[in-house]
Amino acid sequence: MGSNEKIYRIRFHGRGGQGMKTASRILGTAFFLSGFEIQDAPRYGAERRGAPIFAYVRAARSPINERGIIRRPDLVVVADDTLLPIPAAGVLAGVDEHTILLLSSDVRAAEWVDRIRFPGQLILLPKLGETEDPPGLRFLGATCAGAAARLAGPVARDCLEASIHMEAGPLGAAALAENLSRALAAYDAMASHAGCVQPATATSADDYIAPRWVDLPFEQASVSAPAIHGTLTSALSKTGLWRTLRPVIDYARCKRCWWVCSTFCPDGAIQVDSAGQPGIDYEHCKGCMVCVAQCPPHAIEAVTERGSQAEEAS
Amino acid sequence: MTQRILLTGNGAAAWGARLARSDYIPAFPITPQTEIIESIAAWVEQGEMDARLVTLESEHSMVTAAGAAAATGVRVFSATSSQGLLYAMEMLYTVAGWRAPFVLVNVSRGLSAPITLEPDHNDILAARDSGFLQLHCATCQEVLDSVLLAFRLAEDRRIRLPVIVNLDGFYLSFTREPVNLPDLGSVDSFLPPFDPENIRFRASAPISQAVAVLGGSPYSYFRYETHLAALHGLGVYDEIACDFARTFGRRHPAVESYRMDDAQWAFVMIGSFATKAREAVDRLREIGWRIGLIRPRLLRPFPVSTLRHLCSGLRGAAVIDQNLSIGFGGVLHGELCAALYGETKAPRTLVSFIGGLGGRDISDEEFFEMAAVVRRAADAGQTPAPRLLYTEDELRELRTLQAVAHSERNDLGARSKTT
Amino acid sequence: MNDTAFRRMKDLPSTHLLGTGTPMCAGCGGLEALHQIYDVLGERTVFVNAAGCMTLLSVYPFTPFRGSWLYAAMASAPAGAQGIRDALDILLAHGRIRTEDDLQPVVLTGDGAAYGMGLSATSGAIERNLDFLYICYDNEGYGNTGQQYSAATPHAARTSTSRGVHGYAGEKKDLFAIWAAHRPAYVATVVGAEPLDLARKVETAKRLTGPRLIIALAPCPTGWDFDPQDAVAIGKLAVKTGIWPLKEYRDGQIRHTKMPHPRLPVEGYLKRQGRFAHLFAPQRNEKLLREIQSGVDRYWQQLEGIRAAPGGGGACT
Repeated sequence: MGSNEKIYRIRFHGRGGQGMKTASRILGTAFFLSGFEIQDAPRYGAERRGAPIFAYVRAARSPINERGIIRRPDLVVVADDTLLPIPAAGVLAGVDEHTILLLSSDVRAAEWVDRIRFPGQLILLPKLGETEDPPGLRFLGATCAGAAARLAGPVARDCLEASIHMEAGPLGAAALAENLSRALAAYDAMASHAGCVQPATATSADDYIAPRWVDLPFEQASVSAPAIHGTLTSALSKTGLWRTLRPVIDYARCKRCWWVCSTFCPDGAIQVDSAGQPGIDYEHCKGCMVCVAQCPPHAIEAVTERGSQAEEAS
Repeated sequence: MTQRILLTGNGAAAWGARLARSDYIPAFPITPQTEIIESIAAWVEQGEMDARLVTLESEHSMVTAAGAAAATGVRVFSATSSQGLLYAMEMLYTVAGWRAPFVLVNVSRGLSAPITLEPDHNDILAARDSGFLQLHCATCQEVLDSVLLAFRLAEDRRIRLPVIVNLDGFYLSFTREPVNLPDLGSVDSFLPPFDPENIRFRASAPISQAVAVLGGSPYSYFRYETHLAALHGLGVYDEIACDFARTFGRRHPAVESYRMDDAQWAFVMIGSFATKAREAVDRLREIGWRIGLIRPRLLRPFPVSTLRHLCSGLRGAAVIDQNLSIGFGGVLHGELCAALYGETKAPRTLVSFIGGLGGRDISDEEFFEMAAVVRRAADAGQTPAPRLLYTEDELRELRTLQAVAHSERNDLGARSKTT
Repeated sequence: MNDTAFRRMKDLPSTHLLGTGTPMCAGCGGLEALHQIYDVLGERTVFVNAAGCMTLLSVYPFTPFRGSWLYAAMASAPAGAQGIRDALDILLAHGRIRTEDDLQPVVLTGDGAAYGMGLSATSGAIERNLDFLYICYDNEGYGNTGQQYSAATPHAARTSTSRGVHGYAGEKKDLFAIWAAHRPAYVATVVGAEPLDLARKVETAKRLTGPRLIIALAPCPTGWDFDPQDAVAIGKLAVKTGIWPLKEYRDGQIRHTKMPHPRLPVEGYLKRQGRFAHLFAPQRNEKLLREIQSGVDRYWQQLEGIRAAPGGGGACT
């Protein structure tokens, strides 16, 4: 019975475009090449680039019967520390004392443990040349996969290397080389934590928390039909969380032309006041930078979200 | 030589079509199936697969073209999901009536409304009575293998009916697992070229296919013959599955029975969530339960006698339906009850659970609890009402959504109670 | 026209290929057109049919065809032709059938499918440049269910769902223009009452490859309420009054193949059909008669305008 074997359960969290699917595939293939049965899958939703997404890997020495999202992860890899404070991102769902959290961040580990009251062990992923812009983010997945492979333990370096050849090979020689160097550097950087991930034991059928099932009450269609009776409720979705770059208006240079940035903003997230001065709604601006590209006097600048948030915090 | 590689369920389906040397792939994109036709399109473009892929303007036309091509005597593969399967529904019945054999992969996804992306089995079960035979997969390996089995079954001269191979969206379609990729030579020996015999369009042998009838008597004859062919599929499938096991070393019986030999209890379900039930069986066995899993792979024809045999002597079973026949309940539960009615050794307790609608997960704890509910019911001699797997927390979250939607708040929540 | 085998009426086939014994109504204008078409097309054809009157051409175990037939469904006959054409091409490419075994797929539908439910499938087949022929027998209503109005029903016609004093309020959809806008290989209108014109057009269509579509006006004794013996006379009047222009589209050009000179008043056509009786009794409905006549006048005047304009030669408008 394969299910008696230990299963590694690893979740990758990041934003759409940060290569979390790639990370899960690289790690899945690396485990597979190391002789494991695996499952890897991205979790797609309706979200787009920049929105929180996750992917997961299960690995075991015998066939895996578990399916679907990982509820009790042994290792959570977070590619973008701005996701941690967002409850909807679900980064910390199901973590407990045995969970390892591998975090890509400039903030010190102790500070994070404090801030998020993380019950398990938190390890920082050293910055290995990632940048905030999309070209740099392309390789973040490989970095995360390399580090995760080492933390898990049983993936040999050459299996990781072979995996990256398989997963990134089709992207061309330059991208392959970059993926390889990032992943292997991350693998090496985690040497002191090698094998620290401990697969959780399976839920016991003897001692489990019974689901609190509920009888759905009968409700008439006036309540139970899928109809939204209000308007503009979409504004409750804070799509500003998708943003990695933030447009900032330099009002000294803004010509109050009033229409360019506000008209071209696809999300209608730039309002113009009665004096013709535009203002950006950062709760909903997704960071597409159309306004930056279109502003005639170049009065809108793109700055990194991380930098802006640090500035706001201080 | 057999290769073992990682494939998604969609990738496995595409490989099945490729290894089967499908001639013709009428296509139409729909999530979560699209990766199948994208993969095949790429192979065709790169010359790795000698086939013709044509994108139709709807699934209705896609299934028409599939049936028409099969009726002309080529090997046809196609794929769809959910709304697409329903859009094609008229033609599913129609081409089955033509006795046009081909393979259609359905990637299960809940039906609108409300429209959703994630899986349940209402789409495939809506096609239950169409005349398509149905194979339900639990793993990516099964997806590939089932496509090959399905072609043999569909094209068998005793059957000559189209076959749907079903896999769950997301849980299989986008999930990679290790898959044994058989070599083409073995596939060729297992699956000979399609011989359409005397049903195909040729100038030298004119034929009028799919003609009208007037009156119930000829209609009854043609329809019932189709039914008899489908029923014949039970025996033919067993033969083919044996041949498959001989050729490839993998057994895919019409009904998977897992740890059923000494079982007093069972989970009964179809699809990929059934591997979760396997896991729960292992855990429950660890603490002394004599429990197993019954998973029909073949749902049409319905393997009645195998199910009777497997259920014989059980004290109780949890039938888990990832579907909902509105105004009735779980389809599999109803079908199993019908199959077991009047059997002297049938379990007295068959509890109906509705779970996994629209991709809603089923947890380990819920499997354990379902087993416990069945045991309590059997001990008490009273079968409880069907149970939707839905928790207090879920209802609470739904209430917050309803508040945003400005549903009539006064009507909400007052009567909800836990069990 | 110079290379046609059909120079005069005597060139028309004297033996007919379509079998007798079908359940079509006596005097059916659609069947009249179909048997003429079949004479030219020949038996190396597979007809793909959509729901309509002619679904009953092949009722088990009877078929009037020397070639083949497939009944698909109301919306998707062109997709059926697609599947057959593609399959035959695959078989030919692999040498799995002899070239003599090749067949020409011919879609056969009524106006209900052609103008409405099947339009999406037809559009798709044309844009995929499917090599097929489409024959629409247009009896201007859902004839097989008792002549309810369809998108092909002409203005003011009484149908079983437009029984009021004004008849059908809508206008007949211009399917010829819709098909031609796809720029297929060939589009034509025909009527069985003009067999020479019909034979030449089917001959032309047969020589071309790609999507070729023909609309045959199908005077319908049952649905239009006239004596079956008048079927041909009414078909001729449809042409002579200019209400059914005989034309063809090819290479981006529309050409009228028979100019009605002199063009007779439409009244002569309308009067002979019960479906327009309410325009004449108990009293004449001058307003509706004028509307119908002026609609026809406008069509031909516009055409004259185009022909008279500098550089105008019947370009596709």
